Amino acid sequence: MSGNTNIDQARHPAADAVAMFFKNKPAIVALFVLVLIIIAGLIGPLLYPIDPFDMVWAPFGLPGEDGFILGTDYLGRDLFAGILHGTRVSLQVGLTAALMTVLIGVTVGALAGYFLGWVEEVLMRITEFFQVLPTLLFSMVIVALFGASLPMITFAIGLVSWPAVARITRAEFLRIRELEYVTASRAAGAKNLKLIFKVILPNALPPIIVQAALMVGSAILFEAGLSFLGLTDPNIVSWGQIIGSNRPYILDASYTVTFPGLAIFITVLCLSLVGDGLNDALNPKLRQR
Amino acid sequence: MSQEHTGQADGASSSVAHTGQTDPLTVHSKTKPVVDANVLLRVDNLRVRFPVKGGLFARKQWLNAVDDISFTIRRGETLALVGESGSGKTTAALAVAQLVKTYQGAIKLGDTDWLALSDEQLRVARARMQFIFQDPYSSLNPRLKAEDIVREPLESLQSVPRADHQGIVDRMFESVGLRAEQKKLFPHQFSGGQRQRIGIARALVTRPELIICDEPVSALDVAVQAQILNLLKQLQQDYGLTYLLISHDLGVVQHMCDSIAVMYMGKIVEHADRLSLFNNPLHPYTQALLSAVPSVDRELRQKRKRIVIQGDIPDALNLPSGCRFASRCPRVTDICRTTEPELKRHDVKQSAQSSGEHSVACHLVD
Amino acid sequence: MTALLRVENLRIELATRLGVAPVIDDVSFELAAGETLSFVGESGCGKSMTALAIMGLLPDKVGRIAAGKILFNGEDMTQASDERLRSLRGNDISMIFQEPMTSLNPVFTIGEQIAEVLRRHKQMDKRDAWKRAAELLDAVRIPDATHRVGHYPHQLSGGQRQRVMIAMALACEPKVLIADEPTTALDVTIQAQIFDLLEDLRKDMGTAIIMITHDMGVVAEMADRMIVMYAGRKIEQGDVHTVLDHPRHPYTKGLIACVPHLVATLDEHRPPLTEVSGIVPGLQEFGKNECLFASRCDRVVERCLRERPTEQRFDKDQVSACWQANTL
Repeated sequence: MSGNTNIDQARHPAADAVAMFFKNKPAIVALFVLVLIIIAGLIGPLLYPIDPFDMVWAPFGLPGEDGFILGTDYLGRDLFAGILHGTRVSLQVGLTAALMTVLIGVTVGALAGYFLGWVEEVLMRITEFFQVLPTLLFSMVIVALFGASLPMITFAIGLVSWPAVARITRAEFLRIRELEYVTASRAAGAKNLKLIFKVILPNALPPIIVQAALMVGSAILFEAGLSFLGLTDPNIVSWGQIIGSNRPYILDASYTVTFPGLAIFITVLCLSLVGDGLNDALNPKLRQR
Repeated sequence: MSQEHTGQADGASSSVAHTGQTDPLTVHSKTKPVVDANVLLRVDNLRVRFPVKGGLFARKQWLNAVDDISFTIRRGETLALVGESGSGKTTAALAVAQLVKTYQGAIKLGDTDWLALSDEQLRVARARMQFIFQDPYSSLNPRLKAEDIVREPLESLQSVPRADHQGIVDRMFESVGLRAEQKKLFPHQFSGGQRQRIGIARALVTRPELIICDEPVSALDVAVQAQILNLLKQLQQDYGLTYLLISHDLGVVQHMCDSIAVMYMGKIVEHADRLSLFNNPLHPYTQALLSAVPSVDRELRQKRKRIVIQGDIPDALNLPSGCRFASRCPRVTDICRTTEPELKRHDVKQSAQSSGEHSVACHLVD
Repeated sequence: MTALLRVENLRIELATRLGVAPVIDDVSFELAAGETLSFVGESGCGKSMTALAIMGLLPDKVGRIAAGKILFNGEDMTQASDERLRSLRGNDISMIFQEPMTSLNPVFTIGEQIAEVLRRHKQMDKRDAWKRAAELLDAVRIPDATHRVGHYPHQLSGGQRQRVMIAMALACEPKVLIADEPTTALDVTIQAQIFDLLEDLRKDMGTAIIMITHDMGVVAEMADRMIVMYAGRKIEQGDVHTVLDHPRHPYTKGLIACVPHLVATLDEHRPPLTEVSGIVPGLQEFGKNECLFASRCDRVVERCLRERPTEQRFDKDQVSACWQANTL
């Protein structure tokens, strides 16, 4: 046997995906910005230790006045401190809700797509039930009923968002379970759990990863929406909460709403660009170009 | 072979002699006894059916993909199931391996009643019967290294101490003609032929008694096919393997098999040893099939009459009442349209080498 | 022999990640009216690329004709305008593909699809085109053709779909029909039907056929002349019987011997198949000034690695690109 003698190194399929991702310029820029945002959320409050709830200056101080870069809001609180502290909260809500979405969605989708029959019927009916609920309304009801704490908001967002992941996972499982290497594993004596988690799931991950990245963005938006409506913990500052509390003054002091809005916009845009980049990188058909 | 390989999944299989087996050519020298101790696989009246979704209010319909077939394979021999698409040959193979559920019938491997096993027993017993898949691209998990793919059956079956796995895998790589440094590579780094070698190594690693080869070379380039076919023959000799070969390629079948069962629409229409079938086909379908294969052999092209059968296979859900081939048969008579012919022994001693084992399901053959 | 189609020193370059590779490297051949010429070789040898070049269907931006001429009735198609190529493509040169499943548009009936070709190229009106579509389906032996024109592709079997493709290709009575592995996806009894059909159409309409295949049996059965391709190069050419009886290139020899064929009388003698070791070289090897088969060849000599073999001519127009062709 001769053959691929020129290849002497093991090349994990994921290595190609990473290489492909780094060819996508918008995605790299977006990833870079995201990393900056995350760093800002983690250590920003330490470097800029002004309490976002302290009234530090006169209300509606314009940006730049007396050293407050972004000015102050209607209660004279430092807007920059608010956005910096809010970064951590918004990212935390986004990531936790996305994680919950993936956990529920993948479990339901995997079981439905693997076992078929009545398991699939039951699980998919449940999925459809959650999918047809008006998401904002439903989450508002939950938060209103159980209190507007951060964990409850995150839980509500996760609860209304998982069906999309479940459907994607199920579709991937239905496709992959018919491939011969799955049959081959079965012929080799693999048990159900191994087939689901070690054989099918790793191969079903690419679209789920993309969906998860997009999910972080939509959870941040969702949290902003709830906060805007006042359904939030008043003792915790988040981007949406700043917008919500300054809402009445949107015409007189538009910057109080614009800056946190911009933070949301940039973060969600970056997440979306990274998601797109991942989608291209993980799509083997595009990779061959 | 390696000593590590003595740990078998099932006590019954320890009787397999890996002694290079009898020369396949001499096995046929005696006439077939009713109970043959040498029979490894015995399939009786196998039926496999699938539900077909009709309309909303339509009655649930069943498609009989494999409809009452029986055959045996003796140790060290190769039986081919041949036929065109829709013949049920691949479904039959999957049913024998219990990768699809059987509806009726019996499958015995050695002394083990394959259908009486519990799920867990079957999972363990799979070590004795392995599968080589058609498509070397989709049959290997793209996320596993070559050596992990080959090791998988060993791990799942737990029939061999873990410490011995690496040694067995290494030797397997050598047996199928892959280099040791290729163990760490991922499937996409191999050519089609090399991937099929990995698939063969995976099938061999548990030292099975029976290997089912489902179109093992049809996805490969012609020049590579010969490499794989020669390898399969070599391994059969070295390890005393028994093959059930599924193929539509009569050239490959001619080269690889000791006996052949021709399937048409879920039924076996003709079953004979290699020489009888190719030199003296009896069923009109087999004759047409053989005459349709393009060949470089000029003598064959000049000698034979091309029988072009018209039309396509009939709708499997609305089977004709008589012979299933009647609608396309060039020699059809009235009885063919009303009565389904049975598969009957039709022994003709046509040459000294031929064993004369020949069954055919056709009213016109007496 | 008056050539209907003459390809001269054709070179097609393909842009890949590793650079530009000549996937067709200095290939010349002729096709006479009414003859069947077969291209044989493994996948990746440039058989299909030649066909696409003749059809003017090379993938945009990726592939281009770098040198050479494709003369159809004396007209150089490499210089023709897109407009002119489109017209040639429908009227004079047609192609059928390997996969009849994906070559038909699933949302239109087969009648509509055939009629569309007729209306575009023959300026027929709707009614005539529809009638002619039914006639063509009948000509390719689809039973109950007048009824079947109204069917959608998914209502037909694979063999019937390939016959619809042939009907479409023949709608404008082309002078050249290129068939790229037309039966690879089909069963052998259906393959036999398609071959019969092609043979009859060739006799009745005088269409020249270029048959692209990997199966030497098909070549023997269908073609008058054959060209063996390897790594983008023509390595052997000649009359089918001459080449099959006495191949003058080790690759041709290997391709014939590596397949277990059906023979007139089978006996117990079953020697191992002749192997052609290794695989077709990667695109990065293409274009080198050496014999690209050398790494798989058992008769390789020093010269093979140093110099690309020139074409040597033998009796009956047999041509071989091998330094050792004389001794084979």
